[in-house]
Amino acid sequence: MSDGYMILTLDAAESAPHRGSTLIPVRHTLGFRPAGVNAWKADAGGQLMPPHEEDSGNEELYAVVSGRATFTVGDESADAPAGTLVYVPPQVHRAAVATEDGTIVFVVGGSVGEAFEAGGWDSFALADGYRQAGRVEDGQKIMEQLIAEKPGYWAVHYNAGCFESLAGNADAAFAHLRRAKELDAEEAAPYFREDSDLDALRDDPRFEELLG
Amino acid sequence: MNLVHIDELDAIEMPDGFVWRPVRRRFGIRAFGTNAYTPGASGRVVEEHTEQQLGHEELYLVLRGRVRFTVGDDEHELGQGQLVYVRDPSLRRSGVALTDDAAVLAVGGKPGAPHEVSAWEYMFTASPHVRAGRFDEARALLHEGLEERPGSPPLLYDLACVEALAGESDKALELLNESVAGSERFREYAQTDEDFASIRDDPRFPR
Repeated sequence: MSDGYMILTLDAAESAPHRGSTLIPVRHTLGFRPAGVNAWKADAGGQLMPPHEEDSGNEELYAVVSGRATFTVGDESADAPAGTLVYVPPQVHRAAVATEDGTIVFVVGGSVGEAFEAGGWDSFALADGYRQAGRVEDGQKIMEQLIAEKPGYWAVHYNAGCFESLAGNADAAFAHLRRAKELDAEEAAPYFREDSDLDALRDDPRFEELLG
Repeated sequence: MNLVHIDELDAIEMPDGFVWRPVRRRFGIRAFGTNAYTPGASGRVVEEHTEQQLGHEELYLVLRGRVRFTVGDDEHELGQGQLVYVRDPSLRRSGVALTDDAAVLAVGGKPGAPHEVSAWEYMFTASPHVRAGRFDEARALLHEGLEERPGSPPLLYDLACVEALAGESDKALELLNESVAGSERFREYAQTDEDFASIRDDPRFPR
């Protein structure tokens, strides 16, 4: 950031593998705060954002920046050349596959009536990419930065717990996960039960306390 | 599927010579603010402005063509897939198209606050109707804005302009005074606004 603004070139920006896709973590890289902004890139035949649904209240807008994609929203599929905008309401299944090399899709997301809070799944994706490349400390720095931005938000501690679990650091993982539970036990509970990122911790007696 | 190509969006040319392409409004998005812009008569794609009034952070992504952005004292030529993120709301920013096909997607909002639909969206939407003398259409859009943002001084001010142009002097004066009561800066704007030529000599006109 120089003098209060920043330039970013999407296809040259840092990217990270995430659930079979390639994420350009725009929000994390910029430190953008008003909404969730990210981008996905793929060559022909490759998956853009991972197929998913958003929770109640979460709206998303996708913009095809370059190349071309096939979007599937609910039961419908459509060809989307560069310059196409696709709006997807909450709780509707969405997926997109590139049909040309060098396709980039930019996405904006947020929750109706709520201030945007970065839970940091995107920072986690970048950190976990570092971990898989053997750069655990660089990954930890990213998660620390995320926590420093929003120390009172359960999700940032939860994502840091996932990172440490995958890195094999059980003590650090439990410290983060306990903090997430303290901040919002109700939101965190279903993730504790279902997230495969925590599988390495499930046989540890401390995990029972988290579920309790 | 709810999808549109940027060239199929409404094109509302503003007096500053840029074309506003309403995106948030097109899709009825409530969670965040986003719009697209293409060049109009002046070649401008991003109006010269600051975000000081609203405290918004904004990013401008070039979807097509090339654009020269001015941010503070700096200039940057950006192409497709490049963006400029302006974190500091007080920085003056603008963009001029370097190619006719330029298109920019803007995303913005106030950090830490739920998104509120900006009053200017209604004013921009009403603007071509005002200029063409279609006052009923303009009134309907500004009233829609006031339902969303009750008492909004800029919307009351614009509605006062419409009523003054439509010859409804009493309504115009009432709305203008309401607007000034909500925000003093509209007193100053009103002094030189040509839309109020028909009511400026009225004793009720705010001095």
